[in-house]
Amino acid sequence: MSVSLNRRTFLRGSAGALLPLPFLNLMEASAKTENEGKPPVRFMALFKPNGVHPPTWNIEEGSEFDFRMTPMMKSFEKHKDDLLVLDNIGDFGFASHANSSRRFLSGHHQNTKTASIDQIIADKIGGDTPHKSLELTTEGLFPGQIGCSYISYDQNGQPIPRESDPQLIFDRLFNNPLSHPQKRKQMASLLDRVNEDAKSLSRKAGAEDQQVLDQYLTVVRETEKRLQTMKAASTGPIDFTKLERPEGGGSLDDQVESMLDLIALAMWTDQSRCISYMLGNSNSRMIFDFLGVKEQHHYLSHFFRNFSPTNIVELLKVCSWHMEKFDSLLNRLKSYKDHNGTLLEHSVVLFGSGMGHSDNHTVKRIPMVLAGQGGGMIKTGRYLRYAENQPVGKLHLALLQQFGVDTDSYGMAETPLAGLDGSPINFYEERAFDTWVKHEDKTITVQGRLRLSDDLNQAKIFFVDVKGKPAVRLEIGFRDFHDFNLAYHCGTPITLTGNGTLRGEELVITKVTKLESVFGKLPGKANG
Amino acid sequence: MRFSLSVLVLGVCLSLSFAGSRFALADEYAADILPLLKKYCFECHGAGDEVNGEVDFTKIKTAAQVDASFEKWESAIGLIEAGEMPPEDSPQMSDVERAIFVEWYSQRFVDSVEAKPHVFQPRRLSAHEYRNTMRSMFGFDLEVDIIEAQQTVVEKSMVMKLLPTDPRGKSGFRNDTHNNPLSTVIWDQYSYLADNALEQMFSKRRRKHLEKITGPIAGTGPTFAQAEILVRDFVPRAFRRDVDEQKIDQILARLNQADKLVPVLKVELKTVLMSPGFLYRGILMKKIPGQQLVDDFELAERTAYFLWADMPDAQLLSTAAQGKLRDPDVFQSEVTRMLKSPRAMNLAEDFATQWLSLNEIRNISNDPILPLSLLSQPVDFMNYLFTQDRPLMELIDSDVAFVNPNVRGFYGKDAKQMTAYRKQKGIEREVVPNQQIQLENTQERGGILTMPGIVAMNKGPVLRGVWMLERILGQHLPDPPADVGQVKPNSQGENLTFRERFELHRSNPTCAVCHRKIDPLGFSLQGYDAKGGYILADDYEKTQKNKKTVSKKGEVIDTSGKMPSGEEFNNFYELKEILITTERETIIRNIVKKTLSYALCRELKLHDQPTVEDIVDKLNKNNGTYRDLIHEVVNSLPFQETIIPGEKL
Repeated sequence: MSVSLNRRTFLRGSAGALLPLPFLNLMEASAKTENEGKPPVRFMALFKPNGVHPPTWNIEEGSEFDFRMTPMMKSFEKHKDDLLVLDNIGDFGFASHANSSRRFLSGHHQNTKTASIDQIIADKIGGDTPHKSLELTTEGLFPGQIGCSYISYDQNGQPIPRESDPQLIFDRLFNNPLSHPQKRKQMASLLDRVNEDAKSLSRKAGAEDQQVLDQYLTVVRETEKRLQTMKAASTGPIDFTKLERPEGGGSLDDQVESMLDLIALAMWTDQSRCISYMLGNSNSRMIFDFLGVKEQHHYLSHFFRNFSPTNIVELLKVCSWHMEKFDSLLNRLKSYKDHNGTLLEHSVVLFGSGMGHSDNHTVKRIPMVLAGQGGGMIKTGRYLRYAENQPVGKLHLALLQQFGVDTDSYGMAETPLAGLDGSPINFYEERAFDTWVKHEDKTITVQGRLRLSDDLNQAKIFFVDVKGKPAVRLEIGFRDFHDFNLAYHCGTPITLTGNGTLRGEELVITKVTKLESVFGKLPGKANG
Repeated sequence: MRFSLSVLVLGVCLSLSFAGSRFALADEYAADILPLLKKYCFECHGAGDEVNGEVDFTKIKTAAQVDASFEKWESAIGLIEAGEMPPEDSPQMSDVERAIFVEWYSQRFVDSVEAKPHVFQPRRLSAHEYRNTMRSMFGFDLEVDIIEAQQTVVEKSMVMKLLPTDPRGKSGFRNDTHNNPLSTVIWDQYSYLADNALEQMFSKRRRKHLEKITGPIAGTGPTFAQAEILVRDFVPRAFRRDVDEQKIDQILARLNQADKLVPVLKVELKTVLMSPGFLYRGILMKKIPGQQLVDDFELAERTAYFLWADMPDAQLLSTAAQGKLRDPDVFQSEVTRMLKSPRAMNLAEDFATQWLSLNEIRNISNDPILPLSLLSQPVDFMNYLFTQDRPLMELIDSDVAFVNPNVRGFYGKDAKQMTAYRKQKGIEREVVPNQQIQLENTQERGGILTMPGIVAMNKGPVLRGVWMLERILGQHLPDPPADVGQVKPNSQGENLTFRERFELHRSNPTCAVCHRKIDPLGFSLQGYDAKGGYILADDYEKTQKNKKTVSKKGEVIDTSGKMPSGEEFNNFYELKEILITTERETIIRNIVKKTLSYALCRELKLHDQPTVEDIVDKLNKNNGTYRDLIHEVVNSLPFQETIIPGEKL
């Protein structure tokens, strides 16, 4: 059966990027029609640089099936049923940037002599695809700490060069001039013509010219030979010549959207089954000018060290953009029909970072989300917060075993992380605490969990949640924010007293007079 | 009596034809020189177990080999005249023998050498030239999609990313591509790059570039008439010369038959970009055997690739097409115009960077901010010398510096001349452009030799001395023997300085030949630490009663030395004085040779020597500038003329 994608298949989405339209007739056909039985499983890893801003990322309440996605997760909330949100991944104090990019796919930053899991999985599932794996990125090398620029490592633990240009990737995947039927024809006629030109020159040439022309003609002849030896690509179910080459030269957003297009297309056409993609270097100093942000990402990511209310808003814009790109990838993987399901159902996407808290670089509560069912290996629609902090290596070992890699240890881990396939785990249990609120005259005292506003554009507004009542709103100045260290207590239960009033249904505190942690937690004294 | 004989032979030779004098001189080599070499030189240079200093005289047998080794003779004569060769512990030449050698050299390699141009050799564009040429052809750069952030290293140019790095040719420059043949790998990359450029040319994104040539394009693509305009513009520019009307007609005829215009147009233009006339320089010049002026288009091309590493622009091409380029005034004003173009930055960025090995500054730190900040200084400085018409010797002696905030610490009070730099909020580190300042309090930074990046990239006195000898004084040094070992630490009871221990270490006469020249130069820079910092005390001169230089910390630092000529100096300032007086001509000669060699894209030959000497002489006498130098080079015989081998018709 022969299927072609014509350029109408791609329409401009609202984001301005090329989006494949699902469910057109020709998309219904699967890329590998003859291959009944199990469809191939794919693996993708999407790296978010510079950790997260925990108050907006962390889920503080909820159980395996009943949990509320946090403000930062909003852009991919619609995929909740296809996600397995992991929490309490990472088990030690501090990570350098270079360590955190190594950790993302290698289990542990000291695991520097073996391949990262994408490469091991590629060996297992790559089969006879033309590209066993692809390693992609957005920015250049950071030679000051070279490890910051790589997440994929070969069998000796050496970094694998990455490619950032969507056109180069497109051409590598779909545009080999020696097998592309149209280009073969063009090259053949071009060779004829330049051959003629060179020969006519050579009739008039002096000895020195002759030598150069001989070299030139030799290369022309060799290319003719190569053209004859290399057969035209067999016209499979998809005619690659009809695919539209991405436009280059756009913003970071255009570049990434094009690359996400290509990732999905490469997977769907079975050009590759394993791709890693870095949205930025581990300590990225990119400037997101297309979001109206003028500061370097790394500077903003140290949101405590470089605190200002506007910096937080800018940082959250940058982080939200990363989340939107994860959403973009999932949208694409869902839009491709693959055998009897979608491409996402036959894929595992690992999205996350190598550190948790972007300011103090802790390797705890690292953002790690799995998407897709991988043909049944992952049970999605769940939130798993493990009782103990889990080494990243255990997650990687579990993934390797799910992909059928025969190994019982990886990246310093000897046991796989339980629960990915629905197996039982020990859940984290928070100590119970009461929530209440008292309002006397102008003094309000409230006990409950402190959290940041859901609206990321007003990151200086906080709330204290009280069961059965509207949350108490904190509209306080920087002085109070700083003196009572709200950033530290964010996400935890507190007892807070302050001055305020009732505004409609909502109690609003404008000045804090006292703040205590319910469980007596205290921030360190050192300056951040 | 040998002397009078030589003079006699010379007199006879001058009346003979060129070929005849060659023969007679070759004979003299066998009769007079070979016996001397056998007697004094062969043991260490060819006939013994080891070949010292990469010089093997036993391999020089034919007259052609004698000629080809002229640089070897030049340095041999220098060593013999200075009494450095044969080494002290070997039998010495008599004065008469020495005079025979010197006389033979000057007859054969100075007096009797006739200036002549080189045989015409077409050569492939270097990757750098190809990048610039494609940019000029299309009006936009071929770039890779990659985000540029501070502190990262990015190859933004698709050409430089995809084409293999050109090896340095025999001249030491990468534009000397004579021994860098085309391969199928490079062919595929050319094909890919041409496709890419043409794809872009007809895309919406690049429409305005295309319209600059064709005029406003209505609808989806150019009309046939616009395609014709494009072809008539594109093809002669690609070939850097007028093209037969017949060739254009053939292309237009094929376009005329096309169902769809743009795809056929792309194939036609790609064929041009893949043909020898585009990829090779000089291959389309009409070749008539004999010595001759190169044609006007070739002259335009030579000039443009020398100054810009790029194809001639529209004005230069049309001047050539009108046959006006040989008018000296027109040529002069074209060259002056080209030097004012921003593209002339190429002389600093490509030529000077290779000549002075400036890219080694990139290796001094992993964090690119500091190396890039340090590298930009000599590049901007060299651009200033080349384009602001500065005297040649300002390379060594200048009170102008180009300084950016990341290196301001090296410039003390003088840095106050810079307009204040305020880092924008949220920018942690960044590379900032240089400002030109006048050195009033930090003269220790004047000239190229003591720029922070230069002293930092050459670690230790040996590398600094070698760099100065090779890059500034133009001497070629052989590699040291592999088994030199380490400088020994003081043994018990010994209390020698590093310099004294080092001198013991290399006291072996074989080593001493080169190190006598290297070490004084290198140790004169001991007032600069490994990071390029200046460590001498402010009043180092007052404290040097016993001729010792003192550091800020009060340590005695031996910066003194003695030149092979016998001149002595106490510190770098005195050395600098020697460099700009005694060594002035040597330095000018090196500048001339390097520039001529880059301009010609080849190593210099014996028959270029008269041209070199002629230019050196003029510039030395007239206190010439870099602009004078450039004008001399583009008007020189080897640049203007060529020889096409073969029978005259």
